Amino acid sequence: MRSYIKYVFVGLLFFKSVLAQNSVDAQLDYANKIFESSKYFDAITEYKRVLFFSSDKKYYSKLYYQIALCYKAGAHLDEAIKYFVLSEKHASNDSLAFNAKIEIIRCNILRKSTARALQLCNELEDDIRFASKKDEIYYWRGWAFMFADDWENAAKCFSQSKDYNELIMLCGQVVKDKVSVTFAKVISYILPGAGQIYSGKIFSGLMSLVWSLAAGYLTVNAFMANRAFDGLLIAELVWLRFYRGNLENAEDFAVEKNMLAANKTLKYLENEYKGVKP
Amino acid sequence: MTKTHIAFMSFFLLIVSIAKSQTNVQSDFFSNNNRLKFANHLYNEKDYLRALGEYKEILKLVDNDTIRFRFANSFLKVGRYDEAAQNFKTLFVSSKLQEEAKFSYYQTLFFSGDYNDFRINYDGGFYLPQKYYKVIDRLNSATYFLQQANLPGESKLIKPFDDSVQTKLIYFSQMIKNPPKKNPVTAALLSAAIPGAGKFYSGEITDGLIALGATLLSGFLAVNNFQNNHQFRGWLFTGLTAFFYGGSIYGSAASAKIYNAKLKSDLNKEIKLYFEERNYFLPKIEL
Repeated sequence: MRSYIKYVFVGLLFFKSVLAQNSVDAQLDYANKIFESSKYFDAITEYKRVLFFSSDKKYYSKLYYQIALCYKAGAHLDEAIKYFVLSEKHASNDSLAFNAKIEIIRCNILRKSTARALQLCNELEDDIRFASKKDEIYYWRGWAFMFADDWENAAKCFSQSKDYNELIMLCGQVVKDKVSVTFAKVISYILPGAGQIYSGKIFSGLMSLVWSLAAGYLTVNAFMANRAFDGLLIAELVWLRFYRGNLENAEDFAVEKNMLAANKTLKYLENEYKGVKP
Repeated sequence: MTKTHIAFMSFFLLIVSIAKSQTNVQSDFFSNNNRLKFANHLYNEKDYLRALGEYKEILKLVDNDTIRFRFANSFLKVGRYDEAAQNFKTLFVSSKLQEEAKFSYYQTLFFSGDYNDFRINYDGGFYLPQKYYKVIDRLNSATYFLQQANLPGESKLIKPFDDSVQTKLIYFSQMIKNPPKKNPVTAALLSAAIPGAGKFYSGEITDGLIALGATLLSGFLAVNNFQNNHQFRGWLFTGLTAFFYGGSIYGSAASAKIYNAKLKSDLNKEIKLYFEERNYFLPKIEL
């Protein structure tokens, strides 16, 4: 009979421990439901509650990950990274660690700390555990370059996989649409207005050319008539004013054109692109 | 007792245990005791906003001075000063934490930036905690430094502070009372006498030299053109000279005003930083 009671006692203890675990699972489900209903502030509270009461370390990585996702959804990227790092640290397998690290990279892309995002991509690429996940690493490296306005390198990263044709095309389009700011300035030094015309502002470029020619003519004319003072005055106050304006405009218009090209694509990526985004 | 009896009893116990555990699956996490543990954990982690929510639920069932204090203090930490003050006030009578609550109430007034309200309470002796009187006295002095207005006598102002910081506070006090301001009228008159001199006076040396150079050059060109019977150019440069001369006078007055504004802003920043770095000379209270 004594052994019988012992079995019952052991059975009770076993059921109790199973139920304790069930209670953590139930609370986790409750927190997940709040998360799914997009109430991120409350979801963080409930995940933190589970974290506080759960002594089972197997939950830690998942909980930190979920908390980080909530912070990310609320645009608290620094906090999100802090919890993704904790999630990676407590990851019980390589897959969880990889996902956490990818999320850290995505947060870095969003907060435009490109150098850090690229550094983390390199670390992942060098890690033999993730040799089979190179495509995903290239993908996020490409995104890091796109957010850093480096479309050529982005296209190179995407071209390392067959699955990213749409992104390669988009990057190629931006590269094609962009103009060289240096070239715009250099040709404007040689021929006033040329940089503006090159950047697509034809009327403004022609006006710069006309003003510079007219002011140049007046300056030369004054010197030819031995009116050196008038020549200096017109050169400084009129000719150089238009010449400098032409150089500034060439740079501004080129930068503006590049920005428009990049923004158009970023807007497309934000609203129309169906793939995973940072 | 037969084996059947024992088996029945064990089964019954098992069922009771399972039923009890199932009803407690979630309520355990939200029992008052566990909620308090969790709230304190959040509070210690400085997650005051979430701690607030937990303390609020606990206070619906239990009224405890420490919990109420932490609840009020959480409001203070997240910058909800009115709610903080209201909750600290509930601890003013017959509470073992009344001294701490009164002290924190003054902190609430101080950090809300309503220095006048702080002083009304302090001068009227309302809710002054005996235990923390010296700290409140320092906070009161700090309000004058931070507001930079209506400073009392220097000895009264710096008396609550340690000797080690008094030299700096005397400096702040003197800078507030007698700031080395530049007079815009003086600056304008100086530039009227010598173009650009007002800018030198306001510390704008380069601007002063440019103003002087431009006025002299255009004046010389005006005279030179008139002497050579170039009437149009003469008048053109006369107008330009008048423009530079007037601009120099106006600019000098403006630069003196900018100098004064910068002086005040810099002093304000310096004082604020000084007190912030020293946590406003507040003691740390752990409850």
